[in-house]
Amino acid sequence: MPGEKEADKKEAADKKQLSRRDFLVAGGTAVAVEALIPAISAKAAPPSPAGTTYPASKGYLVYDSKKCAGCTTCMLSCSLVHYGVQNLSRSRIQIMQDSWGKFPDDIKMAPCRQCLVPVCVQNCPVGAAFIDTAHGNVRRIDNKKCIGCKTCIKMCPQQPHRTVWVVIDGQGQSSKCDLCLDTPYWEEKGGPGGKQACVEACPMMAIKFVAQTPNQEQTEGYDVNLRNDHWLNLGLVDNSTVTPKTSLAWPKME
Amino acid sequence: MTGGYTGKILRVNLTTKAVSTIDTAKYEEFGGGHGIGSAVFFDLVGDQLPFQAFDPRNLIIMMTSPFSGTFMPGSGRCEVQGLGPMLYPVEWFGHSNFGGRFTAQLKFAGWDGIVVEGASDEPVWINIVNDKVKIESANGIWGMDTWDTQEEISRRVIPSLRHGEWAELADNCFTTQIPAVVCCGPAGENKSRLGCLLHGPGSQAALCGFGGVFGSKKLKAISAIGSKDVPIADPKAFMAARLWFRQFQWNVDNPREPEKFAAAGPYALISGRPSGGNVLNRELPLTPARAAACASCPRGCRMRLATGDSNESVCAGTMVISVEGSLKFTRQGNDVMQRYGLGHWQLMPLMSYVQTLYKEGILGKGKQLDTNLPLDNPGTFAYAEELMRLIALRKGIGNDLAEGCARFAEKIGRYEQDVNSGALGLAYWGTANHYDPAIEAEWGFGSLLGERDLMLHMMSNYPLHWMAWSGAPYVTAEEAAKLYTDAMEPYQGDVFMVDHSDGPTGIYSDSKVKQVAWIKHYEKFWVGAGGFCGWRWPMCITNNTADRRGPTPKAEPKFWNAVTGKNLTFADYMEIGHKIYTLDRSIWVLQGRHRNMEVFPDYIYDRPSRGHDMPMYVDGRWKYDKGVGRKMDREKVEDFKTRFYKFEGYNPDNGYPTRATLEKMNLKKVADQLKSKNKLG
Repeated sequence: MPGEKEADKKEAADKKQLSRRDFLVAGGTAVAVEALIPAISAKAAPPSPAGTTYPASKGYLVYDSKKCAGCTTCMLSCSLVHYGVQNLSRSRIQIMQDSWGKFPDDIKMAPCRQCLVPVCVQNCPVGAAFIDTAHGNVRRIDNKKCIGCKTCIKMCPQQPHRTVWVVIDGQGQSSKCDLCLDTPYWEEKGGPGGKQACVEACPMMAIKFVAQTPNQEQTEGYDVNLRNDHWLNLGLVDNSTVTPKTSLAWPKME
Repeated sequence: MTGGYTGKILRVNLTTKAVSTIDTAKYEEFGGGHGIGSAVFFDLVGDQLPFQAFDPRNLIIMMTSPFSGTFMPGSGRCEVQGLGPMLYPVEWFGHSNFGGRFTAQLKFAGWDGIVVEGASDEPVWINIVNDKVKIESANGIWGMDTWDTQEEISRRVIPSLRHGEWAELADNCFTTQIPAVVCCGPAGENKSRLGCLLHGPGSQAALCGFGGVFGSKKLKAISAIGSKDVPIADPKAFMAARLWFRQFQWNVDNPREPEKFAAAGPYALISGRPSGGNVLNRELPLTPARAAACASCPRGCRMRLATGDSNESVCAGTMVISVEGSLKFTRQGNDVMQRYGLGHWQLMPLMSYVQTLYKEGILGKGKQLDTNLPLDNPGTFAYAEELMRLIALRKGIGNDLAEGCARFAEKIGRYEQDVNSGALGLAYWGTANHYDPAIEAEWGFGSLLGERDLMLHMMSNYPLHWMAWSGAPYVTAEEAAKLYTDAMEPYQGDVFMVDHSDGPTGIYSDSKVKQVAWIKHYEKFWVGAGGFCGWRWPMCITNNTADRRGPTPKAEPKFWNAVTGKNLTFADYMEIGHKIYTLDRSIWVLQGRHRNMEVFPDYIYDRPSRGHDMPMYVDGRWKYDKGVGRKMDREKVEDFKTRFYKFEGYNPDNGYPTRATLEKMNLKKVADQLKSKNKLG
């Protein structure tokens, strides 16, 4: 199908864009797994062999950490639509803040990057972490298969790790952002082409779904500027040389 | 119990060091927050009243609501209750609340609230990590300011804590969040009646003096962090409600009529736009900053600055200290107030009073009230810092000032004179005057018939107060009256509830009686029991919709029912608010409240008002008018009170709740207690 050909071309292009960071992470995987996971179930599948290629996700979450107000609505939305409860620890997007910190370093936003080389998928010993080729190549975790070995958590190259440990009925297992493909507590269709709970609920519109693969270098490709002049005109600048177009002065009090 | 509750309230006795639980279900009929807090207070110590705020029998009650820990917009407040040493002439059973993340973390730890009783011999703090609760020694923490205290406690709770990483809280339980700590500062440790509770860098429970109660119990702080679920009865409905609510929010990328509402000035306060609450970043060049929100708040009225000062402080928290010519020192001066743990709403009139006494030659070097304070330089950082230090540490003149405005004035023999003249700007139970009760009478009556300044801006007048003052109101006075009162179930349709004239339908009318009752019921249920922010709720009117209708009264039950699984109406919940108010009033009666005490200081009656534009119905038509020169009428105020008591089901002779009213509310035991003290209405 023409669409598939386009997708194949895109995938090939994405492969070419693999950063040195991605390569290093993928290349170091085997040794690290051996060190961290001493015993794996006999039934477990081995990690993906070196050289395996992966189709790029057709969706990503980018965000603006200078626009985030730290209300954690995105985290609670994530937890709600996936689990039917509200719990920051279950959220697949993490917002961390230091109330005494200095802007902009006081907030860190941490959604899953849907990595081009998905280390979680690559290293899952049982195939629970997988690429959902039927749904836009989203990197997902099948909670029915997850054995709770935490390999994906230990191997995630991001800080904090974007795979999230959840305990359900006393049983711990990994989870990760699925771009809202599987949301039993939300009526909306998710995934690429659909809606994401964090994007919809964020009152600052500081999270955005994009189809284009962000630049993979460090965090800059994901932490983008989503502010327009309306934001600036509130006096919320990221540079003291910037002057809002609207007046900030109050009328003189009576 | 279904959604919203964890099912248990933590009970900590600092005298015996016993830690136990109270079953939340026993108190579910009171909703949550303030309602449950009042009921617990009555059950535990109601039969022992009256006693003093610093008595070990006093309780510190900090309750969450079913909304705490959820994304219910603007529900991140923590209600603190107990006898308030700031309040005057009686340390009434009072309440004060603060924003931030505390109630969310308390709920995630698995608790619906905390009740602290008794007093410790040695300084302690309470450490809550999920189900584990420990009374810890405050060695090395007692004496610290509020900021250092929170940092040190966070380090002790999670030694491996690093900003931006996961930490293991307990076996297999992880979080990226830092512990939520609420504490007193040096002011509270020294039992100052100005002592506030502080959470984060700027979230104060400023009213009532609960920092002093912490100090009297040798309780430095409470820390909470958790990783548990908050159950939601109907998750789909709750998510749908949250997305439905977006229409009432400020649209940050495409706001409605930004040329009017985005500009600074009055609309910065009432438009719902982010960051408008910190007044200290309006001058060019601007300090780079973000809007900062309490847990689950879609507005984010605070800021965090690139300089890191005045972080998360708003309104009075950024206005008490003003250092001439230096924005930097002004911000840091206000931060000194936060670090000492001094309540801004009491410090503000106190500092003003000190200057008044200085100018009158009563206070100063070699004067009747002898002090070395550099009183002739009140606009300097040095003056402000030294004055706050003396108060917080009870040094020199600060020892008397730490008693708070009213008791300090009483001690120097000037209370009657200076309060009645207005030289000391108190209006309600030892707390400062706020909005002019001669014009915005619902604020005055709502405070007078409570136990401290109402401090609920959106409750009655805030959008109207600032809208007209801006000179560009977005609705006419007639439209404002209709929009407001349409939302005020169950009294909807009586437009004269917001008539601020002194005519027959104005500030003394039966319509105003209903408005004040509505305010008290909303205050007790939605704000008190629901943990709502008084800067956000109710929203009877808004600039963010085409028809200017706000989400009240549709939103409140929509969210509450989705979380809890109940199926009640807005009016049903308001009746619970009536019940909570009646219970509070019964407690005040047990402390000595009588209608004869519910009077304004003389200056409120005798001093002509400067007026303020508000909707008024004059000569058969609505308009924004000022009411310049108006004085409150003592006789009409008393008549208003008589009708209010009757309306609420209280005896108009004394203001006491009647048995019929109490029993109708399932408060028979309260009626019996009042009867035993010969105080049943």
